[in-house]
Amino acid sequence: MKLAGLKSVDGAHDESIWAAAWVPAADHRPTALLLTGALDETVRLWRPDDLASAAPPVQGHALGVVSLSAHPAGAIAAAVSLDSYVRVFDVDSGASVATLDAPPSEVWGIQFHPKGNALAAAGGGSGSVKLWETEKWKPITSLPVPRPEGARPDKTGSGKFVLSVAWSPDGKLLACGSMDGTIAVYDAIRMKFLHHLEGHHMPVRSMVFSPVDPHVLFTASDDCHIHIYDAKEKSLIGAMSGHASWVLSIDVSPDGMAVATGSSDRTVRLWDINTRASVQTMSNHNDQVWAVAFRPPGGTGVRAGRLASVSDDKSISLYDYS
Amino acid sequence: MPETAAEANLRKQLEQTLADEPSSPILHSNLGVFLWDRAEAEAAAKAEGEEEAKRLRAAAAEHFLAAAKLNPNDGVPFRFLGHHYARAGDAPRAAKCYQRAVALNPDDAESGETLCDLLDLEEKESLELAVCKEATGKSPRAFWAFRRLGYLQVHQKKWSEAIQSLQHAIRGYTTCADLWEALGLAYHRLGMFTAAVKSYGRAIELDSSRVFALIESGNIQLMLGYFRKGVEQFRSALEMAPCNHAAYFGLASALLAWARHCIMTGAFGWAASLLKEASDAAKVCTSFTGNISCVWKMHGDAQLTLARCFPWDDCNIKRGMDDGIFKAAVLEWRNTCLSAANGAKFSYQRALHLTPWEANIHNDTAICLDLICTMEDNNSLDPIVWELPEKMSLGGLILEPVNKDFWVTLGSVSCNQALKQHSFIRALHLDTSLSEAWAYLGKIYRQTGDKQLARQAFDRARSIDPSLALPWAGMSAENYHQSGDGPVNESFESCLRAVQILPLPEFQIGLGTIAASSGELLSPQVLMAVRQAVQRAPHYPESHNINGLVSEVRSDFQSAIASYQQARFALNMMCNSKTDNKYRIADVSINLARSLCKAGLSTEAVRESEELKRQGLLNADGLQIYALALWKLGRHDEALLVSRNLAENLPSMKQESATAALGFICTLTYCISGKDSAAAIIHKLPGQLSYSTQLKFIICALDALQPNKRFQLPQLSMPPRLTSYEVMSEVHSNIALGKAIGGELDKFLRVDSGLSYLRKVLHMYPNCSLVRNQLGSLLLSSGDWMASHKAVRVTSLSHGYTSNRGLRSLHQIQACAAVSCYATCTSYPKFSFSTCEDHYLSGYNAIHHLQRWVHLEPWNQDARRLLVLAIFQKAREEKYPKHICSILKRLILQVLSSDNNSQENKVVQYGNYLILLLSSEVSLQSSDYNNCIAQATEALGVNSSIADSFFAHLQLCRAYVMQGNHLNSKSEYMKCLQNHTDTEIGWVMLKQLASICSLEGTSDEIEIHLRECIERKGSNASKWVSLFNLACAQCSLWHEDFASAEKAIAQACAEGDPDICILFFNGAISMDIAWRFAAPQFIPRAASSLRKAQQKSLASLPIVSLLLAQAEGSLGSITKWEKNIRLEWFSWPPELRPAELYFQMHLLARQSSTAASQQNQLVETMQAPERWLLRAIHLNPSCSRYWTALLQPVYV
Repeated sequence: MKLAGLKSVDGAHDESIWAAAWVPAADHRPTALLLTGALDETVRLWRPDDLASAAPPVQGHALGVVSLSAHPAGAIAAAVSLDSYVRVFDVDSGASVATLDAPPSEVWGIQFHPKGNALAAAGGGSGSVKLWETEKWKPITSLPVPRPEGARPDKTGSGKFVLSVAWSPDGKLLACGSMDGTIAVYDAIRMKFLHHLEGHHMPVRSMVFSPVDPHVLFTASDDCHIHIYDAKEKSLIGAMSGHASWVLSIDVSPDGMAVATGSSDRTVRLWDINTRASVQTMSNHNDQVWAVAFRPPGGTGVRAGRLASVSDDKSISLYDYS
Repeated sequence: MPETAAEANLRKQLEQTLADEPSSPILHSNLGVFLWDRAEAEAAAKAEGEEEAKRLRAAAAEHFLAAAKLNPNDGVPFRFLGHHYARAGDAPRAAKCYQRAVALNPDDAESGETLCDLLDLEEKESLELAVCKEATGKSPRAFWAFRRLGYLQVHQKKWSEAIQSLQHAIRGYTTCADLWEALGLAYHRLGMFTAAVKSYGRAIELDSSRVFALIESGNIQLMLGYFRKGVEQFRSALEMAPCNHAAYFGLASALLAWARHCIMTGAFGWAASLLKEASDAAKVCTSFTGNISCVWKMHGDAQLTLARCFPWDDCNIKRGMDDGIFKAAVLEWRNTCLSAANGAKFSYQRALHLTPWEANIHNDTAICLDLICTMEDNNSLDPIVWELPEKMSLGGLILEPVNKDFWVTLGSVSCNQALKQHSFIRALHLDTSLSEAWAYLGKIYRQTGDKQLARQAFDRARSIDPSLALPWAGMSAENYHQSGDGPVNESFESCLRAVQILPLPEFQIGLGTIAASSGELLSPQVLMAVRQAVQRAPHYPESHNINGLVSEVRSDFQSAIASYQQARFALNMMCNSKTDNKYRIADVSINLARSLCKAGLSTEAVRESEELKRQGLLNADGLQIYALALWKLGRHDEALLVSRNLAENLPSMKQESATAALGFICTLTYCISGKDSAAAIIHKLPGQLSYSTQLKFIICALDALQPNKRFQLPQLSMPPRLTSYEVMSEVHSNIALGKAIGGELDKFLRVDSGLSYLRKVLHMYPNCSLVRNQLGSLLLSSGDWMASHKAVRVTSLSHGYTSNRGLRSLHQIQACAAVSCYATCTSYPKFSFSTCEDHYLSGYNAIHHLQRWVHLEPWNQDARRLLVLAIFQKAREEKYPKHICSILKRLILQVLSSDNNSQENKVVQYGNYLILLLSSEVSLQSSDYNNCIAQATEALGVNSSIADSFFAHLQLCRAYVMQGNHLNSKSEYMKCLQNHTDTEIGWVMLKQLASICSLEGTSDEIEIHLRECIERKGSNASKWVSLFNLACAQCSLWHEDFASAEKAIAQACAEGDPDICILFFNGAISMDIAWRFAAPQFIPRAASSLRKAQQKSLASLPIVSLLLAQAEGSLGSITKWEKNIRLEWFSWPPELRPAELYFQMHLLARQSSTAASQQNQLVETMQAPERWLLRAIHLNPSCSRYWTALLQPVYV
């Protein structure tokens, strides 16, 4: 289990890069591609091995791209920008497919359903998770985050700001993380709130379910820790510490054996899930790392694991994971 | 099947050719083959065809015989002869024929296979081997032989040889699942597990119904630790063969192993559900075959593990919990565990009954019995009677007296200290490096109080096997009881290690206790451990108590309260001695009271405290909580009384808690009876008390609020090295604030004195971010003209993690500075020219910085507000382009909509008021007057409770003026006059409106107000007066009253240090007057103002030089005119130069060309004069002056 730097592109965007996502291989496109979104209001597309630009940048994400998610079929992707529109676009042509508005509150992190029939968005200041269906792009529902029983006083006065959202790979669970560190878990089939997961006490900016155990959830928080939850049984089953500052993003390897995290301490770390320990620290970025993403399996002739990380230093780094 | 015409034809042909050439073996053979095939067809067609077939075969055999005789080197006839004899039942003859055939052609799979089958039937294995070996030796393509050989070698367990044969055979039969399966088995037996898994996988891929391959590869996955894959494989095997007990056994063991893995990570709920499945699988397996002891043992293992890990779930009793419900829940949990343990016991008993000679089942039974004993809690203290577990353990030992592990088991299940010690020592006799025995021995020594021996034993155990939890826990306990700072930390680390290795509730509670005393409660590892402890040991009060502490430290007070209550119930359930229990209940109750108080349930907190007081168990901590709760309830007198009570106890307390209590008393007194009484308490302080952090803070805060009688406390001015850096910087920033607050509280802040103090502090602590932030924010709130520039320079810009302490965060200061520069700081000259004298932000994008901040803290409304302001600033600089306006409107909507729940906060309200005004301004600029008026009116509504409604009226007035609604604008104007403002710019703007509303009469009033305002705030008078005069001049200009305009602007220039814009304006007006009224006396004035403006501006402003050139030209100095024209050329960006500039250059070029001073390359000589002129005409063809110039004789 190790990472080896393959390539780094400095100045890949004109400004801080905030979001990255792999677009899986599709029928018309044999390999997965990397999408990145940045403060410079563009989304760019990169080839997987040499990080060559694969398409002209997609403009118009006003005020900067906060979050990106690619549809599992590999044809379309969605981006959230600071003006709180979700813009859905065709990956290859960059043409707009739909623009989803969530007035008057906001959206932050997004993720497509593993089967691709829904899009979930962390509802920011509305304190909810919003869901859209992906055929006509009509809103399905909005799942409110109930206040936990031990309601704690808010420091900012603004309600519960929901930052991150994650689907379990079997599509049965949906989790969302908030700025006060609570994580709400929903039954995604009956659209019902199940319970809160406790343990973090600072914003949870990123989370991901394990691809091999559909109820194991990995979360990254500003409290510098990475937690492992059994989301179904509502228990904290592991915690990993080592980052010197906020943990901004997390992703799990396709084999489910390792997680990678990006942090405000400007490093990317690789963690062994079995030993609950950091295996490797990459410090090639010189500003905070806002997103890490493992390439999904699939595509022709693709065996090697790839990890991409993007940072405020305007660079993209690609690593070989083996 | 009768012969068809074609076949008959063929037969005839064959017979014919044979008749022609009777000595050809080939032809005999061909006819034989034809006849043989016919015979087969006949036999297959119908039963009665058998006779005909026999006849045909006999005929064929004759031909084959003939062929064999004619050519004994052809194998084919021998093969068919073999078939013939085999069919006739003449096995030896058939074998010989086949042997001949194989010998002649080793690749002949058919003969070879049939020969081997024949030999197999006769059980001539060695012969079979010899045949295969011979064939493989002869030809590498004899794949049948390799296959047969491989199977035989597998059968004979010659694994490595089998692998070679099988691998070779697979080259010939790549899709033969049997071969792959056999290869897998061979690898498996040789211990090459990965290769085995791959081979089995290939077999399953080729034929998905391979149960053997599935089960075997499942077993290997299990051995390699991939439980999940193992479970999958056993499950799919069971789908194929639903009654296969090997698959069930494998499934049960895989699930058990997986569950054990889950237990090690602490996922008990998960483990429990896996174990239930495992024991179900084992149960099914026993129902197939009830007489296999190992299946019963497996069932027992699963049940025993379940009994040990079944978690207690408290989610059902969160609400309305009382003693009874809690007790019932705990009992239910215990019963579940107990029934699982009993199930295990029965299974072990069955296993023992089936195989009483297996010593390890005795041992397992002993362990299980021990667990049941501890759960039932009925340990009789009779040392004579041997306990059941001991007996079973001894039973195992009698069968296998040299098994060291059995000795360890005996030691751990026994209740007798001597026997324990004896067994461990016996175990160590057998193996001196048995770490478990050492660890248990250490435990015994610890219990008997022999510290030295205990430590040695633990040390030895730990050095032999560092992955054993018990010695770590033991060392942790050893270290914890030592005094001092270091060991506590070491003890925490050791205990953490123990918990990570083995999540036992005892270790976890220990970890919680150590964490509580060393301040590590926030650590997620502790949280996880303590939460698990509650799941595993709900009957221990301590687990609930520490759980409460963990919740409390995470500000989850409701859960904390629930936990403390549970802790009390658990204490009540325990049947210990009364006095012991009383103190423990008191401790928990104080915790409970504190949490109640923190959660805002003061009434309950008071009730708890009073209950404690009644029992006489209220200590210093309890008193503080009591007083605080009373104060929160508004019972001030009682609170003061309690605090006095506390003060009496002070001398008897430890130093640390005494200073903390003192700080509490001061704060409470301040809150109840104000600063004077608090000050009195501090004055009464005993001098020798050293001041803690908090106390210093309180004192300097009080000091800040005490305008007159400053505490002349020597402690505050002590040398910096004596106290910690952090504390001192906080104290100093507090003092600075105190200085700023100044004399009377209702006056404006005296920011300057605070600033000068902070500057000194910064000199002392140059790298303290808090002081820098504080300085920056004070600078911003000072009326300093250049504050925004200075503030940015004081604070250091850093990305990423920043501390948010101080009045404003670093981000805020940066952002505020960016939007508060009074000048237009645009860096892009397309929209406007930068008039900012410092250009501090050149190359730095404030909006991007703010966007980063919003991205970092999306919930932060301040960041969003500042982003709105920054974008507004940008819109203003770019003359309100439509796209920016629409983004602004959306952002404003966001900011306003997300603030619904904090309407009471005045600061937020004021922010909303300003944002609404801003939104109104955006509407005004996009000529949407109705919206503008509506939003300004809404702003007035929001602001109804706040004094400063001046600007809303001003905005309304502007909107009405734009609409042309004079009546309304006048009334708004009068409202402005009535509602004073303390912001100077308001008056200046009002002055501009005064003339438009034709309310000149009130002008003086405005000036008076402005002067008052300046005086009150002590701001820079000359700047504001000059600005005011500028406004006056503008008004006069609108009325074409040039004389008074000139007078006003001259006054503006006369004030102190005028701005370049004012100087420029003065020059322009003077020039205009000189031109309009032919009054040359104004030209020198204009020239002097413009000269000053030119000198002051760093990057030369356009048009200034041009005007100056004209003035200088009129004054008769041609060289100065030339110089200024050239300056003007360079002060424009190339793409924006106007036509007039080219015309002027044309004039200049003509001038120079006539002067013929071409030795030094000047700008104008780059082109010929007529070129300049043509360019001017090209840029602006509508100007007749240029055309006239072109008509001049020079060019014609």
